[in-house]
Amino acid sequence: MTINKSALALSIGAALLAGGAQAQENKLYLFNWTEYMDPEIIEAFEAKHDVEVVQNYFNSLPEMLSKLQAGGVSQYDIIVPSNYYVPRLIKTGLVQPLDKSKIPNFDNLMEQFKDPTFDPGGEYSAAYQWGTTGVVYNSETFPDAPKSWSLLFDPEVNPDHPFALMGDGQVNLGGACAYLGHGYDCTDPEGWKEAARLLIETKNRETFSGFSDGTPQLQQLARGVTHAGLTYNGDYLYFKEEDPDTFASLEFMIPDEGAEMWVDSMMITAEAPNPDLAHQFIDFILDAEVGAQLSNFNYYASPNAAAEPYLDEVLTQPPVQPSEADMERLRFTPSLEGESLQVFQQLWSEVQSR
Amino acid sequence: MRKRTLKRSLTGFWWFTLAFLYLPLAVVALFSFNASNSAARFTGFSWRWYERLLGNEEILSAFANSMGLAIVSSTVALVVGCLIGYGMYRHRHRKLGWLIVLIYLPIVLPDIVFGISEMAFFVQVHRLTGFLQPGLGTMIIAHVTFQIPFVALIVYSRFVGLDPTLFEAAKDLYATPIKRVIHFMLPTIKPALISAFFLSFTLSVDDFVISFFTAGPESATLPIYIWGAIKKGISPEINAIATLMIAAVAIVAAISLIFSRRRQA
Amino acid sequence: MSYAGVTPSARSRAMVRESRHLLFTVAPGAIWIVIFLVLPSAYLMGVAFMTNGPYGLPEMPLSLGSFERLAGFGFLGWSPGNLYTLLRSLWQTLVSTGLVVLVAYPIAYYISTCRERWRPIMLLLVVVPSWTNQVIRTFGWMNLLAPGTPLSSLAEGLGLIAPNMGLYPSNFAVTLGLVYNFLPFMVLPLYAAFEKLDTAQVEAAQDLYASPVRAFWHAVFPQTLPGLLAGVVLVAIPAFGMYVIPELLGGGKGMMLGNLVANQFSGGANWPLGAAGAILMLIATFIGLYAMRRIGKRLGGGEEVVI
Repeated sequence: MTINKSALALSIGAALLAGGAQAQENKLYLFNWTEYMDPEIIEAFEAKHDVEVVQNYFNSLPEMLSKLQAGGVSQYDIIVPSNYYVPRLIKTGLVQPLDKSKIPNFDNLMEQFKDPTFDPGGEYSAAYQWGTTGVVYNSETFPDAPKSWSLLFDPEVNPDHPFALMGDGQVNLGGACAYLGHGYDCTDPEGWKEAARLLIETKNRETFSGFSDGTPQLQQLARGVTHAGLTYNGDYLYFKEEDPDTFASLEFMIPDEGAEMWVDSMMITAEAPNPDLAHQFIDFILDAEVGAQLSNFNYYASPNAAAEPYLDEVLTQPPVQPSEADMERLRFTPSLEGESLQVFQQLWSEVQSR
Repeated sequence: MRKRTLKRSLTGFWWFTLAFLYLPLAVVALFSFNASNSAARFTGFSWRWYERLLGNEEILSAFANSMGLAIVSSTVALVVGCLIGYGMYRHRHRKLGWLIVLIYLPIVLPDIVFGISEMAFFVQVHRLTGFLQPGLGTMIIAHVTFQIPFVALIVYSRFVGLDPTLFEAAKDLYATPIKRVIHFMLPTIKPALISAFFLSFTLSVDDFVISFFTAGPESATLPIYIWGAIKKGISPEINAIATLMIAAVAIVAAISLIFSRRRQA
Repeated sequence: MSYAGVTPSARSRAMVRESRHLLFTVAPGAIWIVIFLVLPSAYLMGVAFMTNGPYGLPEMPLSLGSFERLAGFGFLGWSPGNLYTLLRSLWQTLVSTGLVVLVAYPIAYYISTCRERWRPIMLLLVVVPSWTNQVIRTFGWMNLLAPGTPLSSLAEGLGLIAPNMGLYPSNFAVTLGLVYNFLPFMVLPLYAAFEKLDTAQVEAAQDLYASPVRAFWHAVFPQTLPGLLAGVVLVAIPAFGMYVIPELLGGGKGMMLGNLVANQFSGGANWPLGAAGAILMLIATFIGLYAMRRIGKRLGGGEEVVI
């Protein structure tokens, strides 16, 4: 009896210790946003290269960064961060440069995505999808809503219906900056402070429902929990196509004061277990037809010029492809570091705690 | 007379509490049969989310990970924690302040600190020795660490409530310590063991933060998968698997009901 | 151990045996906790005394900057934000723990008075909901309390809430969610205490004291105290550090201490500040535990009260 028990204990211990010392040559570890990948694309890639793709998901960029910092840097091959986290990842040494000779399809990208401001020359990143963050509202509640941030920030425009803001502090602060006339991408401390004060006032309004991420906000709008909020253009369209009745009265707009445009890019971690396969995967995604398939699944705009002929029609018009006037008002969320990052963290923490 | 009123109002309160406990689950179950993707409105009955669930390998493997993790970690914690609980009782007249502090440590540490420090530690050990790569193994270790104190406390408080003369009687009855353990100790603390195992299992299945930080790429549990799914608003597939879990547990409850009846018959 | 030098006698042999017994029972768990928790967290505590790097990671030299930040001093001068956060967390913990006790106490008692074969099933019924994930349960409440649902309309009709707003997101919803989540953790230890209640003592007390309240207070309550205090520990501490429920049901409006600490790590924001916040949480928790120990002793728990 005791012998059996200690044998059991030993084997459990051995299993614990050994749990991991396996060869992983034919596996690709992908760390991506939730439901941001067509399963059929994964299947096709697996079949083509006779490998297994292991997908892991993150819910927010901060979450992804902390996972990488805590050892994920040697466990994942590919990550898909948004533009304003790209410089941070490069400077902290969490990613490696791309070997363009292994990614012939890189040339398929549109010119502006080959050489983005956040990663000059696309040395570390290859664009995956892009989109905008705008105001979404219930058009039955607000039949003549202004095309403006005032729908959220002005109590006179919306005196008594619940509304929400983003979980991501930088987007809220940018929106408040834009509303106050400092521009969405303002970074000067005085403008920020004014914006933070506005956010604190807004947060303490009785009709403020809460900070929540873009996609749950859509569900809340559909459920009638809120009547105005912020969300992403692709998700908005995805739900509207999926369930036209429920989402019929919801409208999406880009405020005239300016709003966010973002690019999510594929990057390879600094200590990726399988960098060769990672390059092959990036090349596969950048293929014309696969790129189109991805956008057709996600309802987000494709950065892939070669994919254009294969895109569904809905992807070539607003809200996925903003009008030219709107396009000029869109800005990247600024990438922060050092003192400005610290100031932002403190301001955002103030907003949340007051 | 008064006693009966008390009993009756307690019964009423019991049913009210049960309704309180099961109402949200009923809502989850209802929406798992929703014909549309909407989490907002019930548009009609359908099995489509269950069909999709069967085809979703990630949810299924996350479910398997959750179950394996909970069963293995609760079992290990039951053995280790039970020993500590008994040791604490038996030697309660000694100065064991350090031990009590040690046992409370896993309980009082904030989850997030717990998770981050474990992760940093495992990664470091893995770099140096090659052992303890983040994955199910490290998650089991982390879960056992936070389960031990709960088991120990429950077992300890059971022992404390026992009449000390029972132990003397047991000494006279059974010659060897092993016989004492099997015929006296274990049966006596059985209720405590059962509730300790339930509690450990519950804590393990429910834990998100610590699992998240100690997990490897292939060991995502259900909470980790679900957390990711909130981003898209909860998909009805998750309602479906939650409903299946509730059903599974209901079946277990039914089985134990039948068994306990048979034993009494 | 220092027994080696003592002349062997029956007494010291017994002591050695006792010590070995102590070692065998306590050592495995103690060593486990030391290796897998004390060492890692000691490292993290050290982080609180380091400087915050440009991307939120700890760097040398050592400094007390994170504690200054925690106290509210920053680039913007002093602000009471963190103080609000601390007080909010304490209040929320107090209220939800109190409510959990109020619900769990009669439930645990009721279960212990039912027929023996029903008890495990009743316990199971209480525990089963927590086997499903926290997020799912909370999601269920989101559906139940949202504007336009029967419960919200009722509250609106009674004038308890403003029109259009619904019961969620709100502080009320957070408290409800906390009570819902932690109820089983209180019922289990309380039931264990009721289950072994000495009924002879209770009956004696009923004869002795005229009022049932006094009988309860003198005969029943002290006996359930170990279970009650164990339950309070099981509920209050996770409630104090909780951040998933406030985030989902409270709309992330009122930041709790758990959110503050979590944001510093999961946001890659400021590890030293997060570690300093963790130290603050530990201090608050230990003060609470000490207070409960005193209360337990005063109410006559004596040595039975472990905490």
